[in-house]
Amino acid sequence: MIVTAIVVVPLLAAFVCAMPVVSRAARPLSVAAGLAVAAIGAAALLGAPDLGAPDLRTSWAPGVGAGYVVAVDPLSAAFLMLLGVVFATGAAASAGVGHRRAYFTLWDLLLALLAGLFIARDLLLFFIFWEACLVPVGILLWAWGGTGRRSATLTLVTRDLLGSASLLVGIVSIAVARGTLDLDAIAARPIPAGVQLLPAILCLGAFASRLPLFPLHGWLPRVYVAATTPLAIVVAGGLATSAAYGIVRVCLAIFPQGMSAAAPVLVALAAVGVLYGALVASRQDDLRRLLAFMSLAQLNLIALALFAATATSLRGAVLATISHGLVIGAALLVAAMIARRTSSFALSRAGGLASSAPALAALFTLTTFAAIGLPGTSGFSGTVVALAGAYERFPAATAVAALVFAVAAVAGLGAVRRAFHGPPLASGAELRWRERLLVVPLLALVVALGVAPRALTDRIGDETLPSVDLGR
Amino acid sequence: MSVDDALAALPFIVLAGGAVLVGALARWLRADERSWMLLAVVVAFASGVGAALIGGGADGLGGLLRRDGLSVFVVVLAAASAAATALLETAHRAHDARGGARAAALILLCASGVSLMASAGDLAVAAIGLALLSVALAVLARPRHESVRGSLPYAALRRSAIAPLLFAIGSALILADTGSTRIGALASTNTVGQVGIALLLAALAQTMALVPFHVLAPDIDAGAAAPVAGYVAIVGRLGAFALLLRVAAAVTASGNAEADWRASLAVLAAVTMTVGSLVALAAPSARRALVFMAVAQAGVIAIGLASGGAAAPASAFALAVLVVLVGGAFAALQGLAGGDARVEDLRGLARRRPLLVGAFGVLTLGLAGLPPTAGFLAKVYLFEAATDARLAWLVVLGALSMAISAVCAFRVLLACLGESVATVPGRTGVATAVAVAAAALVLLLGLAPGPLRDAVQGVRF
Repeated sequence: MIVTAIVVVPLLAAFVCAMPVVSRAARPLSVAAGLAVAAIGAAALLGAPDLGAPDLRTSWAPGVGAGYVVAVDPLSAAFLMLLGVVFATGAAASAGVGHRRAYFTLWDLLLALLAGLFIARDLLLFFIFWEACLVPVGILLWAWGGTGRRSATLTLVTRDLLGSASLLVGIVSIAVARGTLDLDAIAARPIPAGVQLLPAILCLGAFASRLPLFPLHGWLPRVYVAATTPLAIVVAGGLATSAAYGIVRVCLAIFPQGMSAAAPVLVALAAVGVLYGALVASRQDDLRRLLAFMSLAQLNLIALALFAATATSLRGAVLATISHGLVIGAALLVAAMIARRTSSFALSRAGGLASSAPALAALFTLTTFAAIGLPGTSGFSGTVVALAGAYERFPAATAVAALVFAVAAVAGLGAVRRAFHGPPLASGAELRWRERLLVVPLLALVVALGVAPRALTDRIGDETLPSVDLGR
Repeated sequence: MSVDDALAALPFIVLAGGAVLVGALARWLRADERSWMLLAVVVAFASGVGAALIGGGADGLGGLLRRDGLSVFVVVLAAASAAATALLETAHRAHDARGGARAAALILLCASGVSLMASAGDLAVAAIGLALLSVALAVLARPRHESVRGSLPYAALRRSAIAPLLFAIGSALILADTGSTRIGALASTNTVGQVGIALLLAALAQTMALVPFHVLAPDIDAGAAAPVAGYVAIVGRLGAFALLLRVAAAVTASGNAEADWRASLAVLAAVTMTVGSLVALAAPSARRALVFMAVAQAGVIAIGLASGGAAAPASAFALAVLVVLVGGAFAALQGLAGGDARVEDLRGLARRRPLLVGAFGVLTLGLAGLPPTAGFLAKVYLFEAATDARLAWLVVLGALSMAISAVCAFRVLLACLGESVATVPGRTGVATAVAVAAAALVLLLGLAPGPLRDAVQGVRF
């Protein structure tokens, strides 16, 4: 039953937040809910007993063969840890938000749905969590977002719903072919190699548009600009992560040959996306748009590693996904701190901040190093493991994508130079301890994963990852 | 008249008798509108409970009236929606006493027509039920301003006669071909009879408001109350659904018209889903958006009808869910905006009426088939049946149009957020109660679909 608690705890928090009496406690409660999810994830990753096996198997929607099956394996656990940390940080950063009750209720509801997505072992259950996420995300973006929030919401919702429609068709076709949607049962009776391609592409439609894979990324910069900083953190660390998880858990696990057949095209798209994201990022003036395109580059690199699907590249992709959530989350927080001091996210309005706010400069520099993949940070270890793994199968595309180190460095270091060095156009107060407390834990995790990546990758055993190598 | 005859006719007798009673008493008794509506609630409730308790059994009147899972299912749904509509109308109070009695009688009359259609074993009985339903619906949904002096809206009435007319001509052709008006006789049709079947399909597609026949369906005027609008959107579909299943059973049994029948329904489903969801997306008013989301959902149900006999329980599941969703959503709209409003005028209602907007959100999202509502499961069951029947192209189209429908649902729901500019109707107690109950039911059925799924297993052909 402890696995079900991963969903129930945030749901209870959402319920309590909706009560009128406790509106002051809503934020601490939401932070606690996030930390609880992270703690359960950590416990599972460190090998707590009786978390691995499915703990509750009930048939729930007979007829399509759907049931309530949940379990936590190391892959789920790693993503749950990231999810919990990201949501706790986002909730902590949501001080002074308007209409606290509604906000934190939706916030905890979103956490519950995303957490459920990571533990669901039944495709229909997975899909329910997958699509239901859109409701709290849409409302949070529409009601609390900034300029352009309406078009951003409708773009995000439309793209995601169309992707989900294609996933649903794929799931229904599996249900008809196999009579069950239990992932273990489907794995036990593999789908014939010849008919895997079409359902694989159908399922991938949803994941590719939420990740987003180039060229389906149109919503990403709009959402990063329109969303509040906490929501943007969650979109980067929660929604995009769920898409990466979906590719591993659904596409690669059920359709290894189909994904293998489609891999050359997909890898090429991802490689283009990596370079495109990094190049466009280097031309941005708005700090949020810059981060959005850096994020796009990293996410496409993750996609490349997932599509290459070697044992090494998959581990690298997991590492890079977690690194992406932490790094982009920290970068968005620091960007919001800069904007608070210069009253704008525009880099052209900042400059010379390093003299008045050295700690802010240090944090931003470290975050940028992680984002562009300097050694010693998780950005480096994740990217390198992912690329090294992908090189075994797709050397040319991987070589092109590896140029990201150079191009992203131009974008990232350019931002550091323009915001913090040169003539002081703006002066801002030094960081307060509250602000440091938000970013420092994230960066500590980033450095820890950069120094000792094997602490994570070694725990993800071969039996957890889809055996695409064998299928080839 | 044997016991079986009486039992088979009982729901119709109770509903039609109730309508006549209300109409007759209103001449002599002075009572306010609410009393008449409450009487209608009692009558509809009694007939629904009666039909459910009696259950299936032997046919009545020598096979003219069937008494099987399908008839019980549809009669119970029709009676329940009539009762809920009349209950909502008690709070609406838009009528004077005479108008109230007339609306109550019409609500019951529509349900009685549906009960005839649902239990018809003979095309003549079905035609009578269809005529009763069509005319009663046309008067019920009539433009408010034309009702001031009781003058009949002739254009609407003329239109409402088209479906019964087509049905009667179709029946006549079938009679000429096979020498019988029994629905079972459809199995042995030749060319003339098949033209008749096509006419039956056209008549029923109009009653079910499938595109392009929806242009002939009763037009819900902007002046009509939201509960009535919801009822008009539901009740015709119930009757048409039952008859389509009965006709499909006979046509499928023969084999020589089955391919044409299924292809026609598949095309109707495809066009209905696409047009319904796109029109809903562009709709300026909230009610129009809801009406066309319901049209799209009816198209999805038509996928089930096109998928053959095995899909009948899935279609029935979707129909039951559609009744709850549409009824509840219109009740919520009644509470939120007094029946209708432009989408942008809903702004700020979430803060003023959080419970009602929450229920409205669940119901509209359910209407678009979003999880975890029962609307999602209904969609999945239908898609599964259609994939089984090798109609994958319809499933793809259905999934896409449901996604568009969902965008529309998001658009309407998100419009309720924001700073308050909207005016809220004063008393919304009954509407809130009905909407919240419907939303809770839809969520409950989404999480535990077992009971309803067991209940619809009897709906077969």
